[in-house]
Amino acid sequence: MTLLIQNARIASEHSPVLTRGDVLVENGIIKTIAVGMAPADGARVIDARNRIVMPGMFDAHVHFREPGFEAKETIASGSAAAINGGVTGVVMMPNTSPAIDSATVVASVLESARRHARIPVLTSGCVTKGRQGKELAAIDGMRALGVKMLTDDGDTTADPALLLRAMQYAGEFGMFFASHCEVAELAGPRALNDGLVSYRLGIKGSPACAEEIIIDRDIRLAHATGAHIHIQHVSSKLGMETIRWWKSRGDVRVTAEVSPHHLLFNEEHIGDFDTHYKMNPPLRTRSDNEALLQGLIDGVFDIIATDHAPHTPFEKSQDFISAPNGITGLDTALVSLYHHFVSSGVFGWDLLVKRYSAEPRRLMGLPVASIAQGQAADLLLFDPDGATTFTEEFMQSKSHNTPFLNQTLRGSVDLVLLGDDLLLDR
Amino acid sequence: MPHKDLLDIVSLEREEIEHLLDQAVPFKDLFTRSVKKVPALKGKSVLMLFYEASTRTHSSFEVAAKRLSADVTNFDVAHSSITKGESVRETIETLQAMRSDFIIVRHSRAGLPGTIARLTRASVINAGDGAHAHPTQALLDAFTIKEKFPDPAGKRVLIIGDILHSRVARSTSTILKKIGVEVAFLGPGSLVPRVGPEHIRRFTNYKEAMDWTPDIVYLLRVQMERQDVQFFPSLREYHRLYGVTDARLAEIRQRGLYIMHPGPVNRGVELCDAVMDYERSLINDQVENGIAVRMAVLYWLKPGAKEE
Repeated sequence: MTLLIQNARIASEHSPVLTRGDVLVENGIIKTIAVGMAPADGARVIDARNRIVMPGMFDAHVHFREPGFEAKETIASGSAAAINGGVTGVVMMPNTSPAIDSATVVASVLESARRHARIPVLTSGCVTKGRQGKELAAIDGMRALGVKMLTDDGDTTADPALLLRAMQYAGEFGMFFASHCEVAELAGPRALNDGLVSYRLGIKGSPACAEEIIIDRDIRLAHATGAHIHIQHVSSKLGMETIRWWKSRGDVRVTAEVSPHHLLFNEEHIGDFDTHYKMNPPLRTRSDNEALLQGLIDGVFDIIATDHAPHTPFEKSQDFISAPNGITGLDTALVSLYHHFVSSGVFGWDLLVKRYSAEPRRLMGLPVASIAQGQAADLLLFDPDGATTFTEEFMQSKSHNTPFLNQTLRGSVDLVLLGDDLLLDR
Repeated sequence: MPHKDLLDIVSLEREEIEHLLDQAVPFKDLFTRSVKKVPALKGKSVLMLFYEASTRTHSSFEVAAKRLSADVTNFDVAHSSITKGESVRETIETLQAMRSDFIIVRHSRAGLPGTIARLTRASVINAGDGAHAHPTQALLDAFTIKEKFPDPAGKRVLIIGDILHSRVARSTSTILKKIGVEVAFLGPGSLVPRVGPEHIRRFTNYKEAMDWTPDIVYLLRVQMERQDVQFFPSLREYHRLYGVTDARLAEIRQRGLYIMHPGPVNRGVELCDAVMDYERSLINDQVENGIAVRMAVLYWLKPGAKEE
């Protein structure tokens, strides 16, 4: 297939300035980028009309629920949601049933991905068997199948001695650790910030210190062992500042992520027990939103990741305490980040591409997608003047537990191309 | 605007609160007559859905409904399929078929009555959900206070005890704010949230709280059953620091303060035995007024009305 995208503006991680040009893709490779290119015979020509060509996004934190919870999501539906949102690669979390804690389960997940997904679907593996925090999982068997990230996501590996040994052991294999940070005894059973809203709703809140203590603990363990630690979905100002301090020392391998919902929403959005704002770590305060955004702009956060967490309408329609934690994110992330931040100039396209496309791929040891001659085509066409209404029909995830349900936001993903495969064209 | 449900105090306008309290007066007047029953809800059905043990609130609602001539059914939670793992939602779908006009629900999970309310056409009355809300308790407290202080604006109520786990503290402080009464909390630092509504003063020292010169001392039940971890060393220490001891009762009597308590009382913990005979104890008034305000609530709500 030959595809010529004319009159595009091209985004890259290196500059906030969009460059004008035509992009010629032949047989899955970006062949030429130039101004005023004439279409070759048989080429499909798309007039971008100033729309933006950028690399496909990469989400290093998604829950595809397979195996075990296929009513919520499957690899097929989850990867379709990714494509719908301009995401061309993901890393699955291992809190499935059975948990992804052995070569056998990894192999079955990757086989399902090969059959059902049109984008690369990677998986993380558990630190401990069954995410129970008792015995180490079959780490080397998973590594042999390409697993790089080890995590008991959803739960903290409570025993610091066990995590320390895991870091000493697996750090040597070039694997890294991703931590969901939470002292269980402090956090209590409910995903709700300890504050004015938890008081008003009468539900025991989880204080930010429950998260911050483990952020610090796990970075210290990485410091002690030389392992690489990745801190997942930071929700609080002090959590961000803890990471900033450790990074400023320069003697520990630490990376960190922030999710769109922790940037955009806070405890006030919960209103009268709205379960679409229930996730773990919980939404905190407006001042945390502001601090996290500053952390993203300053580079404290290496990556943006959604923590895409689908749940069925029945599950989320229960009362706030019974409803499970998490919201979906793949269908909505790119458009919502554009709508709230890029379109208003809070940060530029370069930040978005760097933090939601380039850095997550670097984290996973993958080649970075970029719009440059000779690169494999991994790109999308984004219309900044378009609009997207996130109806149930529009979203491709099996679940639609998102605060953006039925909202219309500025921006739309119009085309997604991966190699020679035109994944989306609307 | 007619309401379908009564889930909390926050959603009531001040005028609606005043209206309900006014409506409760003629209902209370009925209690001294030989025939205490009126046909206001004849032919209507009331379903009592109590997932948490309750003697007072349950009987109070039952008496209120019967004095309005409604038919009352008790859904036997202990022997239902709920214990077999049926979800609350499935239960409600079953109950929906019974076409009750009112469902009175108590549950340990905050927010659950609201979930039920969205699933049914029946009027749902929250009879207490976790530490979230207990709106009829708040109404009966406001009613009781207005009997003593017909113009309560500027009066001061000191609420003492386990604020953290108390739906009564939340709902009653909210209604008092709405009718112009000042509220302060007093209790152990582990049971009085550091972050709370700005208009509520927070004390952890009894003497400082009394220096604030309250008109009413409102004691909360120490809820040992809600405490998943230890919040204070012993009941003895609690009584010494925050209970109405004999010495404190003498001061309260000397100042002429009223005492309230939502019941049931833990004698020797929140208050000493002598409080039960204190002439300005409003504890029994609260029980009697509870029936009157619950009648007013049942009479006021409109099953099938649209809630925003």
